[in-house]
Amino acid sequence: MSDWSSYFGVPLWVWLFVLPTLLAVGARFSRHHIERPLRRLWALLDMLYLGSGVCAAIFMLLILLLIAVQMTARWTGLTFEGSTEFAGYAMAATSFFALAHALSRGAHIRVSIFLNINQFTRLWLDAAATLLGAIIATYFARYAIKTNFLSALLNDRTQGQDQIPEWVVTVLKMFGTFPSEWAALWRASGDAQIYTPVWVPQIPMSIGTVLLAICMWDQLIRLLVTGQTAIQRETVE
Amino acid sequence: MTELYATLIFLFALFALLGGSVWVGLALVGVAFIGMELFTSRPAGDAMIMTIWTGASSWTLTALPLFIWMGEILYRTRLSGDMFRGLAPWMRWLPGGLLHTNIAGCTIFAAVSGSSAATLTTVGKMSIPELRRRGYPEYMIIGTLAGAATLGLMIPPSLTLIVYGVSINESITKLFLAGVIPGLVLAGLFMLYIIGWHFLRPGERPRPEPRMSIGKMFHDSRFLLPVLALVFIVIGSMYFGWATATEAAAVGVIGALLLAAMQRSLTFETFFASLMGATRTSAMIALILMGASFLSLSMGFTGLPRALAGWIDEMQLSPIILIAALTVFYIILGMFLDGISSVVLTMAIVEPMIRQAGIDVIWFGVFVVVVVEMAQVTPPIGFNLFVLQGMTQHEISYIARTAIPMVLLMVLMVIILVVWPELATWLPDNIRQRPND
Repeated sequence: MSDWSSYFGVPLWVWLFVLPTLLAVGARFSRHHIERPLRRLWALLDMLYLGSGVCAAIFMLLILLLIAVQMTARWTGLTFEGSTEFAGYAMAATSFFALAHALSRGAHIRVSIFLNINQFTRLWLDAAATLLGAIIATYFARYAIKTNFLSALLNDRTQGQDQIPEWVVTVLKMFGTFPSEWAALWRASGDAQIYTPVWVPQIPMSIGTVLLAICMWDQLIRLLVTGQTAIQRETVE
Repeated sequence: MTELYATLIFLFALFALLGGSVWVGLALVGVAFIGMELFTSRPAGDAMIMTIWTGASSWTLTALPLFIWMGEILYRTRLSGDMFRGLAPWMRWLPGGLLHTNIAGCTIFAAVSGSSAATLTTVGKMSIPELRRRGYPEYMIIGTLAGAATLGLMIPPSLTLIVYGVSINESITKLFLAGVIPGLVLAGLFMLYIIGWHFLRPGERPRPEPRMSIGKMFHDSRFLLPVLALVFIVIGSMYFGWATATEAAAVGVIGALLLAAMQRSLTFETFFASLMGATRTSAMIALILMGASFLSLSMGFTGLPRALAGWIDEMQLSPIILIAALTVFYIILGMFLDGISSVVLTMAIVEPMIRQAGIDVIWFGVFVVVVVEMAQVTPPIGFNLFVLQGMTQHEISYIARTAIPMVLLMVLMVIILVVWPELATWLPDNIRQRPND
């Protein structure tokens, strides 16, 4: 199982699935002592989720903008190469960035019929469901990152007509390299338009799924520590 | 018989995860993973991301957030107040009186919003207190509202139809246009029900409304007319082939922003709230679609869809029997799942079946919407029932009882659709030179 190779002598699946579960169990047992210090962390995480929600909203505005430009272009007889691909990338970014925010605000739906039976199921069925959800979300995030890296490694390009300036790609590459390599990076980079490498629009997928996984584990620990769900629900969306 | 055991485990996992209150989108991913591990040696994780990425970054899907946003903007304006005031003068003459504002209001709001819950709150917020004050019987107020709000799912823009179109790869524009006439017919059936009540239960009629001048009628509906204009632009631009579904949605968002600005209810707060609200709802649907796309990949490996389609073929089932069976199936499913989840969950299996039986997929989309509409008002899980409970403090069972006549009317609608399929297929067959989408 090369997908789960060892880090620091421990297989990756222990890091991703077992360790957070143990953390959650530990949090349950020491809940009376850690609730107060944890509240700060929770406030911080809430800001993180909101921040990614705002990112998602910006990409939604971008969809509107792209489509408005495309329509005007069509009516005026101009061409806007790859507009549908760009709108698709913005769509993916909107969806993935908003995942964690939507979860923390109770927008994701679930069948709650057994959840509301009594106090016991409200805590423990919810905990079991959140644990399962967290494991699935972590699995999702793990493969999103793997695919993202593979796309970069294989230098996958778009199937469509969309092109982006090469310097954009280079700037993004700077985040993945050491500062000592930046000079070489820029020397190798031209200023032409290139067909979009698939890994660039896939970055929101990696970030969004990781945030969703973090949010799931976070909800699980909050539930176990405070004894009630941390998801605030808005009355009607 | 290992194949059979594997299938049973797969189905058991599906019910366990969904019933165990795991979030629907993630539950579908989990079930799909189990299916991949049981039925194929293909690496599950990599196949999952490839499918999900292709689906999530598709151009067709971009209509979804924009239509949600359009509804959110109008939901946050003063539209609901204007709706009642604007509609009431026109409805007073009909037998059944102002109860018709419930139906007409829901029909109009359904044409700018794809959600049934938003339709229900917008119209109900205003019409429930007004109708109560005038002495209409409570069961008629609640029942007609619960039923009519489900039109939000059928009259375009409809989120359920977008999700259906994306799942089976059919044109959203065609599906939207297919929903127009059946939506209006269903609204007509609801109105006939009110008229019938008027004549059969004369004792329950409230006092008639006072007279009103034509000038005041137009003055009172001044905010309603721009909304109607917006509806015609959005649907018309799709019909006449000026715009794809996504482009029509963009026009709708811009138009809704203009309307809100005209009403002076467009502040930075409402703009931001509508944008964030739309982002959350669209992420919710996107997560379900992600899970569903992986599930249908996995479902393909289980061989279930092929086996069922083959079985249908063997049985020589007539399309009518198949539709009757599917109606019962969806009603039962709808008791526990919301409309969008039941559509995505079943499409991988149902699509080959209906294609095998030679049923038109556009028509089937409208049919599915009518059946999942019923699910909105049938207990134990009916979204509209919960919303109405929050608004009126009535028991769920009471609200569900008042909605029974509406459910029967929806069953009648299914029969009408089977007898006259042209209701759904005529409009999409006559679109002018539509651009690709």
